[in-house]
Amino acid sequence: MDDYLVSVLSNIGIISFVALSAYVLLLAGEVSFGQQAFFALGAYAAGIATAMLRWPLALALCLGVLVGALAAAAVGRATLRLSGLYFAMATLAFAEMMRIGFELFTWQVDVGGSLVGPNGPDGFGDIRYLFENEITPAQYMLVVYGLLAVVLAALLVLDRSRWGRVLRQAGADPVLAELQGIRVVRVRLVAAAAAGALAGLGGGLYAHLLTYVEPRNFDIMLGVHSLAYGLIGGLGTAFGPVLGVLIDIGLLESSRLFQGYRMIAFGGLVAVLLIARPRGLLDERAVHWISSRAKGLFDALAARRLDHPFRRR
Amino acid sequence: MLELRQLCKHFGGVRAVDQVSLRVAKGEIFGLIGPNGSGKSTTVNLIAGLLLPTSGRIVLDGEDISSLATHQRVARGIARTFQNIRLFGQLTVWQNLWVAENRDRQQRAQPVMPRWFWGCEGDRERLGIALEFSGLAHKRDDLAANLSFGEQRRLELARALASQPKLLLLDEPAAGMNAQEIEELDARIRRIRDAGVTVLLIEHHMELVMAVTDRIGVLNFGQKIAEGSPAMVQNDAKVREAYLGTAAA
Ligand SMILES: Nc1ncnc2c1ncn2[C@@H]1O[C@H](COP(=O)(O)OP(=O)(O)O)[C@@H](O)[C@H]1O
Ligand SMILES: [Mg+2]
Repeated sequence: MDDYLVSVLSNIGIISFVALSAYVLLLAGEVSFGQQAFFALGAYAAGIATAMLRWPLALALCLGVLVGALAAAAVGRATLRLSGLYFAMATLAFAEMMRIGFELFTWQVDVGGSLVGPNGPDGFGDIRYLFENEITPAQYMLVVYGLLAVVLAALLVLDRSRWGRVLRQAGADPVLAELQGIRVVRVRLVAAAAAGALAGLGGGLYAHLLTYVEPRNFDIMLGVHSLAYGLIGGLGTAFGPVLGVLIDIGLLESSRLFQGYRMIAFGGLVAVLLIARPRGLLDERAVHWISSRAKGLFDALAARRLDHPFRRR
Repeated sequence: MLELRQLCKHFGGVRAVDQVSLRVAKGEIFGLIGPNGSGKSTTVNLIAGLLLPTSGRIVLDGEDISSLATHQRVARGIARTFQNIRLFGQLTVWQNLWVAENRDRQQRAQPVMPRWFWGCEGDRERLGIALEFSGLAHKRDDLAANLSFGEQRRLELARALASQPKLLLLDEPAAGMNAQEIEELDARIRRIRDAGVTVLLIEHHMELVMAVTDRIGVLNFGQKIAEGSPAMVQNDAKVREAYLGTAAA
């Protein structure tokens, strides 16, 4: 596979994690403009773990997940009682604070004769784990997609479980959800922590793909995009936000067709969809339609089998 | 079973509920009537915990629940329907019936993981009963938003029953129904009562209220102006005045 394609695909995979992070909160009924903060925390934490502490990648990614989840839970505790616009503003303020915090954050250690570590606004370079361990970009892409597949599978299973129902009820109508016995604030806190974990995982992967991150990678644009991905692709299934990323990065950013017009095309797409399909292309209705069709087809096939039990002999 | 003690709810200068005291006995169907804007829905919101009272107490089975959160009141056996139908439109009929907490302690015996993840056997059984009651079993996997008005009303009632309440609050369940649907509703309410659930029925449709309730309380401008059997209330001078809006006695 050519290098450009590998890098585009890896990027799509990694950004999908932030998109899924914002999606989980959207399901819980909260709009967050700040998921890039947990992405940044994951990136710095995992980068520090491999480049400075010489941890293996798997452990470093786990650290990114943990840091993302804990930070999100802490922020969630403080802000989740706010609702709607206030929550959105609080998450944005937190993310900007974190970004400025990283601009001020300098911690470098001597690794094999050179200084490595976060260096304020100049960012954090030399996260060379892949290079040092001879992992090729194509192999790393498989790691990214392996993890994405696990996360997607978990979210799809969760959606069919008691937890998915609770989450969607709490998001769709918090008052009615309370009347079904759900502690909405607690559900949202769990959702926020899970969202932070997803963003943290994505961040860890991102830092190792780029080998170099700087605070401005994690600005408000990333937050707005992550939110938009779910709203474009749809909130009916975890494939929705991934579809959103595919459309934006795969179609608009990477193809020559829209060169120079990406933001205009993206903004236009969001605006049109917000009016025509406020919950995205794969919204609940579409997913319901698809899954009932699939079920019908499956049942029909099963019935045919039963009609002709001896046909195969 | 349910007791309101000098319950008040003020919205700014509006006394939506003003010093209302009443008792609902276990197993009865208690009607709460009154002209539009007399504070009936506000009373239901106070009992269900969607609003907190300005002053006064709400006592359920001897326990003061005035300051409990909504989900805690649900756990103590309170359920309600809304005057304007309120459902999870983008969820299926079955998913709408889903209830979070399980009050049945016996179920703790089941393995933790599947219970945590998929819910208990007993849950599904309970939801199945609610589904059966709604008469929507054939539409189990349809989106609630795609149901007809009458079906949505039935689903809402079943949704409220799915938590197995001791006390069911019905806020104008007959609104928008035709005569035949109201007859069915009458039968349903009686069936619910016969299953041991106490019902607080708010309704404008007088025939239904008079036919189905054991006792009635009447609100006007947030105050209780009468309480008693349907016959008594019907002949009460104050009630007639409130409804006719004239000084006729
Ligand atoms: N959230 C609210 N804020 C302000 N006023 C309210 C609110 N809810 C109800 N009211 C007022 O309280 C009074 C009683 O309303 P309500 O309980 O809905 O009456 P009913 O259900 O008997 O028709 C009305 O005057 C209404 O305008
Ligand atoms: Mg009302």
